[in-house]
Amino acid sequence: MRQAGFLVRTLLTVAMPACAAFADDSSGDTSGGGSVAPVPVFVEEAQSAGINHVYDGAWEFFVGGGTAIFDCDGDRRPDLFLAGGKNPAQLFRNASPTAGPLKFEPVDTGLSDRQSASILGAYPLDFNNDDVLDLVLLRLGENLLLEGKGSCRFDVANRALAFDGGREWTTAFSAVFEPDLDFPTLAFGNYVDRSAPGSPWGTCHDNFLFRPEKTGDGDVSYREATRLSPGYCSLSMLFTDWNRSGEPALRISNDRQYYRGGEEQLWAVPPGRPPRPYRKSDGWQHLKIWGMGIASIDLDVDGFPEYALTSMGDTKLQKLDAGSDETVPVYQDVAFDLGITAHRPYAGEDLKPSTGWHSEFQDVNNDGLWDLFIAKGNVEAMPDFAAYDPDNLLMGQWDGRFTEAGGEAGIGLNRRGRGAGLADFNADGLLDIVVVNRGAPVSLFRNLGQGTADNPKPLGNWLAVDIRQPGKPNRRAVGAKISVRTGTRSMVKDVQVGAGHASGQSGFVHFGLGVAERANVRIKWPDGDWSHTYRVFANGHVIIDRGAEKARLWYPE
Amino acid sequence: MIQIFRPAVIPFALAIALSIPLPAAVLADPDPEPWSERAIREDVDITALAASGEDPIAVLQPLGKRLFAAKFTTLDGAGRPDATGAIVPTKARRRSHLPFQRLAGMDANACASCHNEPVDGGAGAFTANVFVSEGFESADFDTIDPQFSNERNTNAIQGAGLIELLAREMTADLRRQRQDVLAKARGSGDAAKVLLETKGISFGSLTAYADGTLDVSGLDGIDDDLTLRPFSQKGVFASLRQFTVNAMNDHHGMQASERFGAAWTGTDDFDGDGHADELTPGQVSALVAWQATLPAPTRRADLPETWRQAAQRGETLFGEVGCSSCHIPELPLDSLVFQDPGPFDTAGTLRQSDVAGPLALDLGTLDWVKALPRDDQGRVLVPLFGDLKRHKIADAANDTFGNELLAQRFVARDVFMTAELWGIGSTAPYGHRGDLTTLNEVILAHGGEATESRKAYSGLEEPDRKSIIAFLRSLEIAE
Repeated sequence: MRQAGFLVRTLLTVAMPACAAFADDSSGDTSGGGSVAPVPVFVEEAQSAGINHVYDGAWEFFVGGGTAIFDCDGDRRPDLFLAGGKNPAQLFRNASPTAGPLKFEPVDTGLSDRQSASILGAYPLDFNNDDVLDLVLLRLGENLLLEGKGSCRFDVANRALAFDGGREWTTAFSAVFEPDLDFPTLAFGNYVDRSAPGSPWGTCHDNFLFRPEKTGDGDVSYREATRLSPGYCSLSMLFTDWNRSGEPALRISNDRQYYRGGEEQLWAVPPGRPPRPYRKSDGWQHLKIWGMGIASIDLDVDGFPEYALTSMGDTKLQKLDAGSDETVPVYQDVAFDLGITAHRPYAGEDLKPSTGWHSEFQDVNNDGLWDLFIAKGNVEAMPDFAAYDPDNLLMGQWDGRFTEAGGEAGIGLNRRGRGAGLADFNADGLLDIVVVNRGAPVSLFRNLGQGTADNPKPLGNWLAVDIRQPGKPNRRAVGAKISVRTGTRSMVKDVQVGAGHASGQSGFVHFGLGVAERANVRIKWPDGDWSHTYRVFANGHVIIDRGAEKARLWYPE
Repeated sequence: MIQIFRPAVIPFALAIALSIPLPAAVLADPDPEPWSERAIREDVDITALAASGEDPIAVLQPLGKRLFAAKFTTLDGAGRPDATGAIVPTKARRRSHLPFQRLAGMDANACASCHNEPVDGGAGAFTANVFVSEGFESADFDTIDPQFSNERNTNAIQGAGLIELLAREMTADLRRQRQDVLAKARGSGDAAKVLLETKGISFGSLTAYADGTLDVSGLDGIDDDLTLRPFSQKGVFASLRQFTVNAMNDHHGMQASERFGAAWTGTDDFDGDGHADELTPGQVSALVAWQATLPAPTRRADLPETWRQAAQRGETLFGEVGCSSCHIPELPLDSLVFQDPGPFDTAGTLRQSDVAGPLALDLGTLDWVKALPRDDQGRVLVPLFGDLKRHKIADAANDTFGNELLAQRFVARDVFMTAELWGIGSTAPYGHRGDLTTLNEVILAHGGEATESRKAYSGLEEPDRKSIIAFLRSLEIAE
């Protein structure tokens, strides 16, 4: 028998159960190769990509620092809007070559100097149903509704929409298409009322809900605001169908730093009726955190989403209690069980608690398991909290738990993260990360998979899905649910506007498919109708138009 | 409560690195006794092999041959008590009390136990049929009711290396056409349509739009991603490697680490039989190399004169009645270098991006390849008698081939890949279920797109029909 150097006798290998060291680590430091799931490599390349941007400013800009990730020029690639605080916001057109280094070009937003200043956050949505994405800007002062005109141009539409942008310090936003309404309902979350006596303590501003009114010519106006009172200094909000009733409620995460007697909130928003907060008598349980960012995903695909809530100290992961039902919003915190608390830095010597901001469930290694990204950073110089507080990348594992891999992935920079977002900027099937940092340059991490900057290599298979409702209101199908099935596993993701920290996205929705080379996709459209099954192949972009027999494919240049 | 899966297991190598105490058995048996019942005793470091400059065929082929014929045992990791035969790693709902099971599997412990007619790598008798269903999650089936599975006869693998090379070239060609039509639409701002054709075979049309979107509803006989998948009766597997990884799990419960390992399942013992990483990339490469280098079927050279004359007449008629419109006698192949891993596999089957460099198996060094005819451009003419395209092959009037109730991997139940007829003389019984005993029966079973050809065949005088049989029976797998 031939015995070359590469022909070796085999050793009998016997499977071993995982050792306890991998099962749990309550220290917050779980980096160092603990993830059995593959950890992608990221390289920070904001500067070489042409993004020179800093979010900064006085106390009012200790919070905020959002980004909107959306296609502003119709080429289906995600572009970037970055809030600047005291600095002007900037818009960047995505010029990244497919599968290559990230590249962006600054674009004139058309905003005046005054309008582009004092911006804390931004969320894209199509509020006038013209299929061109619009932008909602959260500001210290008047909020702006920007009507997208194509080619990354925008017009301020406050007057045309009869929208009073107010004078508040706005820090959160969410939108939903309520049943039977053709235009979206907008919710604005406000922070401290600085003009109130005793400010800032106990002087949280009310939040506002704007329901659309149809004008005589079929357009929309937002003449009237409904107060959501009391407000508790919200830093994130999300319309979410928490009980799969088809009627989204408004979940608001609030900062206990400034409220008195406040708590996390859930507002019922019954169609055509005034919103009302869930109270203790409704089963809603008192929870006080430094609520900064909401991330929502249905981890166990039971129809009831889980919510990751960032805070100072431990991140919560709320799951509807097993003993609860669809009428009673009783949640248990399973963050510790699943290793997701991320309560102190995973690197460095600082044992002080972390400060979490934007959070987002995505699949960065395309293994079919949701991962959780959390932007971290001290508020400014709070001595009781960690100064070096790197962003987290909690990799989903097959045992249902999460393992920290931020350091290994290369995203553990010494910057104070705020808003963020994950998107596939170079259309290579690997989600990249943008983080808006306070007082420091934006971080733009290119996902290299298992490769290097010169030679990126894929991880698992993936699928990017865009869904549309041609000829209908709500073209982008906000409120829809995308269900992707591979083998006997399902993954679901809701198309939502809101959550995170001052940061929103619209565009392709990304799914990791692991080793599946095809998937069955079904859409639960916003009105509750399910689509037929679309059979699609892995590693590509698909566009599903409501009613279409087959998905369209999209190929980047 | 969030669903908690079974505890993860860690790779053996990692356990060593972490100095985790292992049972003595783990380190034992590095050199099994001569009478050991272990079938797997060797591995190949394919990274070193690829870098060595050595001919990988010479190294891999013998090992692949042994692995193909090996009767895997529980000492190797045969059996998959916790896993189904599904292509995507899937847990069984509960363990079967039967390690072997003809429906949900495992249904064999050696490749050659089915692929053995007339030689290893060949076809199988009806008794060697397999039951195809990705849906098997448990072994509760005690029926061959087709609502639960599709019954398939064993395919011959001879010549599969050339088939895969043809498919790769056709995939690359079709994707170039896709790229071109997209560029045209983007450049012009108008919709553009292309009629896809490669190696003379049409695969329908693609319409591209200026925004980079594609309408794929005009495609014919190929998947929407334009990957030509030449393997299985259904034409749903892209590569020998993919099929090998599938089959080793499905039929034998031998799980390849490249799909069932910790990276994609969280454990190196997904099937829960106590054996980690049962098949290495090197062992899969060996199996691929052996299959890819199996000599293509040939024509019998020692025919009696009457048969020779009949076969000659039959071959002409085969073309005249239209059989050769799908069973195309030969397709040209540009390159004989078989790279492993191949260019079009996706995660779960070792990819070129997973290795420093692929192995390059030069099939042109093989005597049987050298003997193949070439065209005026120097391209090898692969005498496959096929078109590597899927067709609707049954209809209401003739539903013999429409006897399956389950679509497979997005392909409708009455659509199958054109069977390559090389070697057909050695692979009775016929049809995807192997339930037709004569060539005449299988020809008459053609419906759907083959209706006209079948009618033309039926309309021939009996001697002419017999001559076509004579021709087909001359296409043999050499023993």
